[in-house]
Amino acid sequence: MSALYLRRRIANWVALALSGLATLLGLAFLVWILWETLRQGIAALDLKLFTKITAYGEDGGLANAMVGSLIIDFIGIAIATPIGVLAGTWLAEYANRTRLGEAIRFLNDILLSAPSIVLGLFVYTIVVLPITSLTSGNTTFSGFAGGVALALIALPVIVRTTDEMLRLVPSTLREAALSLGVPQWKLTCQILVRAARSGIITGVLLALARISGETAPLLFTAFGNNYMTLNPLDKMASLPQVIYQYANDPGDAMHALAWAGAFVVTMFVLLLSLASRFVLSRNKVSHE
Amino acid sequence: MNDSALAAPPVQAAAATPPKLKVRDLNFYYDGFHALKGISMDVPEKQVTAIIGPSGCGKSTLLRIFNRIYAIYPKLEARGSIELDGENILAPGYSMNRLRSKVGMVFQKPVPFPMTIFENVAYGIRHHERLSRSEMEARVEQALRSAALWDEVKDKLKQNALGLSGGQQQRLCIARAIALRPEVLLLDEPTSALDPIATGRIEQLVEELKHEYTIVIVTHNMQQAARCSDRTAFMYLGELIEFDRTEQIFTKPGKKQTEDYITGRFG
Repeated sequence: MSALYLRRRIANWVALALSGLATLLGLAFLVWILWETLRQGIAALDLKLFTKITAYGEDGGLANAMVGSLIIDFIGIAIATPIGVLAGTWLAEYANRTRLGEAIRFLNDILLSAPSIVLGLFVYTIVVLPITSLTSGNTTFSGFAGGVALALIALPVIVRTTDEMLRLVPSTLREAALSLGVPQWKLTCQILVRAARSGIITGVLLALARISGETAPLLFTAFGNNYMTLNPLDKMASLPQVIYQYANDPGDAMHALAWAGAFVVTMFVLLLSLASRFVLSRNKVSHE
Repeated sequence: MNDSALAAPPVQAAAATPPKLKVRDLNFYYDGFHALKGISMDVPEKQVTAIIGPSGCGKSTLLRIFNRIYAIYPKLEARGSIELDGENILAPGYSMNRLRSKVGMVFQKPVPFPMTIFENVAYGIRHHERLSRSEMEARVEQALRSAALWDEVKDKLKQNALGLSGGQQQRLCIARAIALRPEVLLLDEPTSALDPIATGRIEQLVEELKHEYTIVIVTHNMQQAARCSDRTAFMYLGELIEFDRTEQIFTKPGKKQTEDYITGRFG
């Protein structure tokens, strides 16, 4: 074995060991978080958690917060998906390599990293306050306003993934379709979006995972509610907001409920991420 | 042998064929870079015209002007004229839709659409014509037969086209192009991503298709040009150096540069 070869093998081992260590470190925290939320929340992790509402305090569950979270997240995704997919498509197919497109892509990246509390306050001013004055104070905070705030967080994620996934589609596919005389809009809707479909769906799922853990934007928008409501114009509870509230409570039983809620949110996000991996991998197999 | 190949009939046949594409003083610019310089040539109808030359000589660029696919990218400009059946396709008023239904193109890498085999062929037809279900099925079958693919795929028309082998995918792309019944078929290095067996099938196909279509094939493979073309154009550094009957080019080239290239002295 030559000295050069030996040196390369040693460098290879060192690099492999370091990256393995880094992976373990990352995974260790993930497992720790899951384990800790489960350990601390196990006392409250029962049927009552899913059936009773927060109005009962430490004897209650989180049913209204879970339902509230689902409704608010749904509103957020329902608003952000069409706008995000259309904007991402425009960026990739119509404005790619133009100055306007680059500017908007840059602004979108800024929105992507905007502090979520700022977005919450923004929605408070553009949605909550006008609705309050329009309804003379009958409607103030609402699940809908919370959904709008979450939509602002989901939007740049969806724009970004749609844009990137479409730009990954080889340009030869575009040329092939255009050389059949197919117009740009048909090419975009019928071929490119289909080719990038799984990536776009993954982006939406990741955006959903992202917003389902958001607390700050909901404090000034959905506010919270101790009772069950399905009306999006009511004040509405959500899991992250209840976790935040219960964590500040001195009672141990409340802490256990907060931990159990945290466990539910974490599992939900984990499952969404797994689902998005599944969607992506299934499509990759069919490409081969 | 050379003498018999150079005997009168093929010359007359070539000369008697009217030009399908008349290229006159064509210049092309990539963002200011002068990529094609004063190209003039007549592409004969229902024959195979091969364009050869070293990498970067402009052969693909020339091909991509024949259906104006270059126009989808900014900062590219073609000047001069290309007449297809007497009409200048570079004129601003020439309908892109019409041009692309008359001039089909097959690319270097097979690019099937992410849909079924049947839909891949039907997709383009549907854009230009309204056909009943049975008419469409007949058209798709006919196109797949012409592309020598029917027997391999007739039982799996509803399967995703991405499941086919590379050679099959390329024949599917040919089927997709000829399904529109174009008059001219442009092949841009159609076999460069294929193995020798698949390449042989495509070459055989080109031989059969030339009875119905005017074919222009860009290739970096000189044997391929010699095997399956009637006429060969040699390009170098954006200029058309020589354009003649294929036997002529490969046996008695008129220019020193052509001879150097085909004998492998550079390239």
